[in-house]
Amino acid sequence: MQHILDELARRRAQAKLGGGERRIAAQHAKGKLTARERIDLLLDEGSFEEFDMFVEHRAHEFGMADQKVPGDGVVTGWGTINGRTVYVFSKDFTVFGGSLSGAHAAKIVKVQRMAAKVGAPVIGLFDAGGARIQEGVDSLAGYADIFMENVLSSGVIPQISVIMGPCAGGDVYSPAMTDFIFMVKDTSYMYVTGPDVVKTVTNETVTHEDLGGARVHAQKSGVADGAFENDLEALVQVRRLVDFLPSSNREEAPSRESFDDPSREEPSLDTLVPANPNKPYDMKELILKIVDEADFFEISSEYAKNIITGFARIDGETVGVVANQPQVLAGVLDIDASRKAARFVRFCDAFSIPILTLVDVPGFMPGTKQEYGGLIKHGAKLLFAYAEATVPKVTLITRKAYGGAYDVMSSKHLRGDINYAWPTAEIAVMGAKGAVEIIFRADAKNPEALAQREAEYKAQFANPFVAASRGYIDDVIMPHGTRRRIARAFKSLRTKELSNPWKKHDNIPL
Amino acid sequence: MFSKILIANRGEIAVRIIKTARRLGVKTVIVYSEADADSLAVEMADESVFIGPPPASESYLVAEKIIAAAKATGAEAIHPGFGFLSEKASFARQCAEAGIVFIGPNPHAIDAMGDKIESKKFANAAKVSTVPGYIGVIEGVPHAIQIAEEIGYPVMMKASAGGGGKGMRIAWNRKDVEEGFPAAQSEARNSFGDDRVFIEKFVTEPRHIEIQVLGDKHGNVIYLNERECSIQRRNQKVIEEAPSPFLDAATRKAMGEQAVALSKAVQYDSAGTVEFIVDKDRKFYFLEMNTRLQVEHPVTELITGIDLVEQMLRSAYGEKLAIAQKDVGIRGWAIESRIYAEDPYRKFLPSIGRLVRYSPPQEGDHGSYTVRNDAGVREGDEISMFYDPMISKLCTWGETRAEAITGMARALEDFHIEGLGHNIPFLSAVMDQARFQSGKITTGYIAEEFPEGFKGAELTEGQADLFAAVAAYVQRLQSTRHAGHAAPRSEWVVVIGKSSRRVRLASTDSTLTVTFEDEGRSVTLSHVDWRPGLPLFRARLDGTAFSAHVAQALEGLVIRHRAAKSRVLVLTPNSAELHARLPEKQAADTSRLIVSPMPGLVVSLDVQLGQEVKEGETVAVIEAMKMQNIIRAERDGVVKMIGAKAGDSVAADEVLVEFG
Repeated sequence: MQHILDELARRRAQAKLGGGERRIAAQHAKGKLTARERIDLLLDEGSFEEFDMFVEHRAHEFGMADQKVPGDGVVTGWGTINGRTVYVFSKDFTVFGGSLSGAHAAKIVKVQRMAAKVGAPVIGLFDAGGARIQEGVDSLAGYADIFMENVLSSGVIPQISVIMGPCAGGDVYSPAMTDFIFMVKDTSYMYVTGPDVVKTVTNETVTHEDLGGARVHAQKSGVADGAFENDLEALVQVRRLVDFLPSSNREEAPSRESFDDPSREEPSLDTLVPANPNKPYDMKELILKIVDEADFFEISSEYAKNIITGFARIDGETVGVVANQPQVLAGVLDIDASRKAARFVRFCDAFSIPILTLVDVPGFMPGTKQEYGGLIKHGAKLLFAYAEATVPKVTLITRKAYGGAYDVMSSKHLRGDINYAWPTAEIAVMGAKGAVEIIFRADAKNPEALAQREAEYKAQFANPFVAASRGYIDDVIMPHGTRRRIARAFKSLRTKELSNPWKKHDNIPL
Repeated sequence: MFSKILIANRGEIAVRIIKTARRLGVKTVIVYSEADADSLAVEMADESVFIGPPPASESYLVAEKIIAAAKATGAEAIHPGFGFLSEKASFARQCAEAGIVFIGPNPHAIDAMGDKIESKKFANAAKVSTVPGYIGVIEGVPHAIQIAEEIGYPVMMKASAGGGGKGMRIAWNRKDVEEGFPAAQSEARNSFGDDRVFIEKFVTEPRHIEIQVLGDKHGNVIYLNERECSIQRRNQKVIEEAPSPFLDAATRKAMGEQAVALSKAVQYDSAGTVEFIVDKDRKFYFLEMNTRLQVEHPVTELITGIDLVEQMLRSAYGEKLAIAQKDVGIRGWAIESRIYAEDPYRKFLPSIGRLVRYSPPQEGDHGSYTVRNDAGVREGDEISMFYDPMISKLCTWGETRAEAITGMARALEDFHIEGLGHNIPFLSAVMDQARFQSGKITTGYIAEEFPEGFKGAELTEGQADLFAAVAAYVQRLQSTRHAGHAAPRSEWVVVIGKSSRRVRLASTDSTLTVTFEDEGRSVTLSHVDWRPGLPLFRARLDGTAFSAHVAQALEGLVIRHRAAKSRVLVLTPNSAELHARLPEKQAADTSRLIVSPMPGLVVSLDVQLGQEVKEGETVAVIEAMKMQNIIRAERDGVVKMIGAKAGDSVAADEVLVEFG
């Protein structure tokens, strides 16, 4: 009997070696950890249970029949993050460069299906060279099978992708359809076609890093939701993110007992908004001062910085925060900001995460670049996302809420549940100067009269009370008591029930 | 006593004066500029009067506005604080003409002491020892050389009208005088519009020690002993103490008596300070007299128990000095640290902005030391570019100098500021230096001890233990709060920089014991006063109280204790092994280009070709969406190319400046 048990141990040991010690050393030399090491860091200690360790590919052409490695380039299974079940797959670059075969794809599909059935997140760790060319269409079919599961699971379970090495061609579309993509700086890149093809087709010379490095996607393209220094940091942060999220759309986000008094007052918020309306301030200070323990997980922190998105907890419960950032471009809504926030709002709604919106927005960004880029439709995405969202929505206007952007930012008119304003709020069609120049065009040549009109307009409209008098604002609140008021608002909304009319699905302006 | 006074100042000194006035039942009026409309001083004063835009030249320095404010509010007297109008004899005269009492010395005394050459003449007449030098007009270089050689090298050449270091040169030999004298003259002319330069002995290993005097309008003057202010950075006092660790009773008495003699010679009738330079043989020389309340006056108050502001009010009102010289003692030791809004890690560059977090140590009795914090700010206030970037004056008092220093080190630990750079780590470093503790200080202290600037301090062994214990505590608390957590593991590896130590943790309800497995010893953390989200971790390590600053990093924690700061990771042995495999990354290559982050109008381009720019310095201001955005250098560099000028419209990503 013992020799049978020994045989299992031997086979396991062999499988765990993946592509062998030489390739593991090469992986380490690049500053990367191996597929299994990464899983160890991601999951609770000793919680990983592996599936399909002995799966091998079935190709025989091009001499593949002689090259078989148990596991076939991807490690799959499940484990826990702070006690909660998650499913993982981790591409093993040491085996066939992590390339995707039919058998490899089937392993991934298996955990995807299990996760959907069980109602647990799927986390994919990418470090692979694309399709296994030797397998031909089987490889393409495998990709499509994975894509299909990504789509079916979208909005059902959280799907998170971490790019920790190359990720190109067919490999990029699975992450693209997941909820969040994180990248590791310097060691990862992501693109549809690599520098060689780019050179051939467009004669453009570009490096891997400049074409699809972590900085490119986290700052310029917005494809990635965050970039981290190394494997460890990335995995630690994924653990932190998972703690904020529900396991599926059938469950609530876990609540975490807070050490932070929900009624805590912050007197310094009374001076956050500067007296000069053209002076910026840091909206993140407000976020950090009102959420539990100043703990805020920011999504896409380096992209479209004029809007802030991320997860926090208030009185122990997860909320999604969307906030204009007056420090960057005055907090204006442009194409990138609208897309970033719209996607975040839809994620929150899909997973029943209440949304806190902090508003200081001067309007939509003017200019040909924006209009040619389709600002109308991109801006409409955010409008659409807020309007269709049925989760609890609490909104606070700190300063400017001008024009259409006021409507968009979770206004009462888009079924905002509780809409607050600080006394410094200015809810109006536009700023005083612009408004006066249009209304009193006759005075255009008379700066004194115009200044007088502007002062009058300011006194009458640059405040929250006009909106409050119509019930568009539920209450004007003291800045120092913001945390208490918002915590109470969300608490009162825990039993909110609201649904949209039956439809196959909506037609958001993509 | 007056029933109402006006305070022609702002910030901490205004608050400090209001406190004494309140205690005496005197009503206060504060004047304020636009920048100070919501200040603590305005909140505390009984009345406030707006006097104009933020620049001092349009508000706090406009005598007419201030006198009008006093008249309008019925204030009988004006306290000028320090700086601004405090040493302007003309202002004192204007007050008198308006029938308002100036709370300070009479204008003749201000005049007499205001000019360096004049004041030296008075000093000589009063038999006050002065630095050997030549008083009078120097006629060109040969005359200067003759004087220098009579005095003996090294000598110092200094602008008569000047203050600070401007127009000041040291000559070690004849050649230095030949070259330096004309340069000093032209600098004096450019800076002060007055090219008179005087020459005096340059004192080596000098200490700055000053005598506080107090006079009344009845001819009485006493001295309240000395303050030592040798810890200076570019002639700016940073740390002061009273008494001086250097003076003996005889020197103290001699200096005090000379200070009184000089004060009497100019009919001095308020609080004032006679500054001396003291050499290594305790020979002292008169420098100048400051005819006002001094920034560092609290240390004198702490060792004498005398409220100097109260005494100024009383003498201004015409009361006779109620304290006799024999009643003035020295009780214990006091130290003052000036907390500045500046970044010590980046060459002490000013770092103004919003006090996102401001939490000073608790004032009052802490057992072996007492804390006093003179501040004019609250959390959420702005340290404005228009005024002195001082945030507060932190003072500690103890029975002995050692206790006062330990107290200061602890008080600095308890001081938490966020939102701008501050010099607390630097001040902590000084408190921890053996040389400072020994009292062997000179005005060259900072330049000698920090020749390369301030880079923080290396962790001591004790601090390495402390960091490990704090990080372990935080890690354990965070990992056990999740609903699904298993029993906490006890073996961990603590990684600080390149060092990693195996630890074993054991906790009770109120303690955490950390055993360093390879060293066979342990430390115990108790009395923990911290919860997640708080920046200050207060506890005792093996019974010794400490406070450390903790901030969450993407991986691990960043902990600062005094001048030592480091990232600390608490990892499982397996994670630690994997962590060790990850290569240390080179600092990210920050681009040589500074581009406009947005389309907008260039309001100003603040650098020139060839200029050396430091990280964090303003490069340009761009207006977009009607808002001004300050574009700062993200690293040090020399400007090689400028791509835009004020008034230009720029597109997003357009190059503003390229570094070479």
